[in-house]
Amino acid sequence: MARLALRNLSRNRRRTVLSAGIVALGCALSLVVLGFVERSRSLIQETTVQQFGNLQIADPEFLDGKAEGFAYLVSPAVRAQVEGLVRLERGVVGTTAQLALSGLLAVRRTTAVVRAVGVVPENNILDYNDLVIDGRGLKPGDVGAVLVGQTLANELGLQPGDFVNLTATTVAGAFNVSPLEVVGLFQFSSAEVERAQVFVPLSFAQLLLATEGVDRIVVRLDRLGRTSAAARAIGARLRAAGLALEVRTWDVLSPFYRGLSGFFDLLFGFLVAAVFTLVFFIVLQILTLSFLERTREVGTIRALGTRQGEVFRLFVEESLWLGLVGGGVGALIGIGISLLFNAAKIPWQPPGTVQTVTLGVDFTATAILIPFLVSVFSTLASALLPAYQATRVSVVDALRAV
Amino acid sequence: MQQGSFCYVAGTPVIEAQGLTKFYTLGKETVRALDRVDFTATQGDFAVINGPSGSGKTTLLNMFALIDRPSEGEVLFEEKPTSRLTEGELALLRREKIGLVFQTFNLIPVLSVAENVEYPLLLTKTPRAERRERVAARLDEVGLSGFERRRPDELSGGQRQRVAVARALVTEPRAVLADEPTANLDSGTGKQIMELLQGLNRDHCVTFLVVTHDPSVVGYAQRVLTIRDGRIQGEEKRGAPGPA
Repeated sequence: MARLALRNLSRNRRRTVLSAGIVALGCALSLVVLGFVERSRSLIQETTVQQFGNLQIADPEFLDGKAEGFAYLVSPAVRAQVEGLVRLERGVVGTTAQLALSGLLAVRRTTAVVRAVGVVPENNILDYNDLVIDGRGLKPGDVGAVLVGQTLANELGLQPGDFVNLTATTVAGAFNVSPLEVVGLFQFSSAEVERAQVFVPLSFAQLLLATEGVDRIVVRLDRLGRTSAAARAIGARLRAAGLALEVRTWDVLSPFYRGLSGFFDLLFGFLVAAVFTLVFFIVLQILTLSFLERTREVGTIRALGTRQGEVFRLFVEESLWLGLVGGGVGALIGIGISLLFNAAKIPWQPPGTVQTVTLGVDFTATAILIPFLVSVFSTLASALLPAYQATRVSVVDALRAV
Repeated sequence: MQQGSFCYVAGTPVIEAQGLTKFYTLGKETVRALDRVDFTATQGDFAVINGPSGSGKTTLLNMFALIDRPSEGEVLFEEKPTSRLTEGELALLRREKIGLVFQTFNLIPVLSVAENVEYPLLLTKTPRAERRERVAARLDEVGLSGFERRRPDELSGGQRQRVAVARALVTEPRAVLADEPTANLDSGTGKQIMELLQGLNRDHCVTFLVVTHDPSVVGYAQRVLTIRDGRIQGEEKRGAPGPA
């Protein structure tokens, strides 16, 4: 039967090449799009992790934005205990801490409400200095220094070297004010962040709030793939130690990434569905025509004793070969296009990030296998109806067909 | 003309028709294609069913070939009724016990001569070595040794019909049914084919039922049934047959 199926494909070469070509085109297109989506997704994952770390450990109410007062702060002793527990986990690159506060940034006679994020400058776990476009980043030993977003700097007429005052309420409820030197301006993908957020050294934020605590501990891992397992393991260790802290992963912390990832899935799903629906109907038409032309032959082989199921299998085998060849050629074409695309090194700034990256197409096994399998299955599916019809026709009627 | 060379064996019934009736509906009209046909073909018979176009002879052959079902009556194959068999069971019976020869040869164009003859053996799952042996023997018998790798479109009409005959015999069936086997051939080639069928009938003791409206074919028959308007009009048994 396999031999007959293959011979049938060679019977009308132009039609077979056309069918396989359509399958190959669908496969190649899907492979390139899926590879592109996967590369873009991984670029956005990397930049998101650079902003959030792999994991953040904090008070659950603080993470949910429901905390009141400063009860959520993590004391130095607890921070040390947590960092000790985190270091037990395999693949931990390092930890850092943050303390965010709300305050009034004043320059000359103008003020702005800002969220000042206290970061550890000497810790490269989260690289804020990459965002700096003018002046310099925060350095170890800095205390009265601030990085201001470009939008806020424009609105307040600030430049590196200017001085500002930051006023906030201490944990005890008293007002506190301190001068800061604008050491650099940073750029972010969102003008809203550039307007409302500034970066200060953690030690300054603690000084201003009159606390030694931090609001979160950030953990960086060597591999993205470790994130979920590490979150579970560290969470279990925290619970075992009696600490009422929660571990959140980077993708949960970034609603933007979740939305974008979902959008990518939807986009790819829609495109693949559209491409393969088209492939399905074109191949269906070609196979129906091909099978109709062989009605008398079907009558002959059934008269010779071929059972209906065997005729069905013969036709399905033909489409399977068509799908395998079309999908295989399509995968090779897709890989070729992707190699050319990668060689072009097209620059791109992913949404939600400030870094320019090189666009490309990933060759993961999934990115090759999914379009290939969808090609094979859509070709098989398009053969089912004509194959079924071929088995239902009466032998006598089939033998009379011209 | 070869005279009187039949397989004279005290035959057991191979194919029997009992009150075989077939109706066709054409629009609002019902046509009776066969009308209470009774007939028995025994082992080694060489019978010709003769009649004009539209007399019902091909319908009758289709019933005997188990590719069509009667409206009334019964076809018995080797004394067993077939009306209650499923399509799958009928297919198994056809592949193992019935050989078919068609008017238009009906070879599979993408397969070679040898592969066409081999096809029924693939259905019966005959081992490869035995398949090769049987295919070679049948092709030799029909005079087509050396043509194994040719495609059907590289053969003459007579050669194609020889391939069809080899295919019909390769499973060593109990009956070979031929529908107008000479209709698409010139008279000389038709004569060769009929002589071939007659020789095979003699050598293999296989029952041959040949449907034709060609008077020259009638002369090869041991039994001649005349059919008209769906009814058997009469049967002539010949001891020493010859062409008309």
